[in-house]
Amino acid sequence: MKKPISALKRFLEEGSEPLDIEMQSELDYTPAPEEARRGENHPTEEPGHIKNRRTANVLYTVSSVVLCALMIFILVYNVSGLPSFGGADTLIDSEVGRFYIENGLEDTGATNIITPIILSYRGFDTLGESHVLFIALCSVMLLLRFAPQDASSALRAYAIEEDEPQDDDILKGFGHVLLPLVFVFGLYIIFNGNLSPGGGFSGGAVLGAGFIMYLVIYGHDAAYKFFNYKTMKLVSMTALVSYSLFKGYHFITGYNGWESVFSNGTVGTIFSGGMLLYLNVFVGAVVSVTMYTLFVLFRRGDF
Amino acid sequence: MLEWVRFILFCVLLFLAACSLFMSVLGVNRFRFSLNRLHAASINDTLGILCIVLACAVRSGLNALTLKFLLVYLFMLITCPLSSHLISLLVYRSDENLTREAELWKK
Repeated sequence: MKKPISALKRFLEEGSEPLDIEMQSELDYTPAPEEARRGENHPTEEPGHIKNRRTANVLYTVSSVVLCALMIFILVYNVSGLPSFGGADTLIDSEVGRFYIENGLEDTGATNIITPIILSYRGFDTLGESHVLFIALCSVMLLLRFAPQDASSALRAYAIEEDEPQDDDILKGFGHVLLPLVFVFGLYIIFNGNLSPGGGFSGGAVLGAGFIMYLVIYGHDAAYKFFNYKTMKLVSMTALVSYSLFKGYHFITGYNGWESVFSNGTVGTIFSGGMLLYLNVFVGAVVSVTMYTLFVLFRRGDF
Repeated sequence: MLEWVRFILFCVLLFLAACSLFMSVLGVNRFRFSLNRLHAASINDTLGILCIVLACAVRSGLNALTLKFLLVYLFMLITCPLSSHLISLLVYRSDENLTREAELWKK
């Protein structure tokens, strides 16, 4: 019986067979002089499979053009039915939207309406979403993670380091310039989620992209020092558990009409909007860690 | 009068951007070797984005938006050549038939 790992090894060492040799040779095909002369004198029939392929190509082109035209027509037709942007009658039907716009600032003390909508008015939804993210991470880990004592760890290192740039000066200069900006920008988006557009999800995505860039630029050893399996467990568990606790406290006080510890504060400062700031931080931590871990798992199967 | 000059400048810049991007698309589709296609894509990308950003700046006038356009272009100016550099590095490392298409520089 053939072990799957030996198949993988053979694939890595020999590479895959190029699939479209025949097609390529037909594309590059130029008739040799003798054949061309013969073709002039006795025009022969084309081989059957080339004819079939040409018909298939024509069919493919025609059907793709028709599909594209249909799709464009449907989309444009639907867009023309939308209410005009900023029109006076646009919001009349939307009871909920008007409620948010009129009472959002007073209820939550956040100048960015979107953040209280996703974290406070629809808190159940976002709480579940963060856990869905974590469950997705767990499933990817089940599928892709190698055990550390796996015999193929040398194989993995070979597979990765062959194709990745190492000690590239251009890349490192780029990292020195751009990485601090990316991290500061991500933190800014997270911490100003209740004041300006942004919040935990988008800021966490920016932070996660920054971590991924750090790994790609400075290599595995530098990234492993500050982010390994333990860090991942610690950060995502702490963030999720505190998120759930905060949100549970919010649900209980809100349901019973009790006074919450987190007051709305001065509108327009960072520490306003009740617990929105803390929730944003937790969501950002979960999202960034999840993004980075997904990348790492797909890259080499382990941290 | 000045409005018209600005509008015409805007149109010309957008047209230049469209031409440049069209050329890069043409290059990507017509060339066969990956480094050639990369060359066509990356050079015209930077020029086309510069033209689009300039057109937007001309259209909006001189205000705080101009600085944002400048920042966008600066970001593109850093990232576009870098991504092409990485792709070309990958081609250099992984293409076994490289010498058939390109002449390698030797020390």
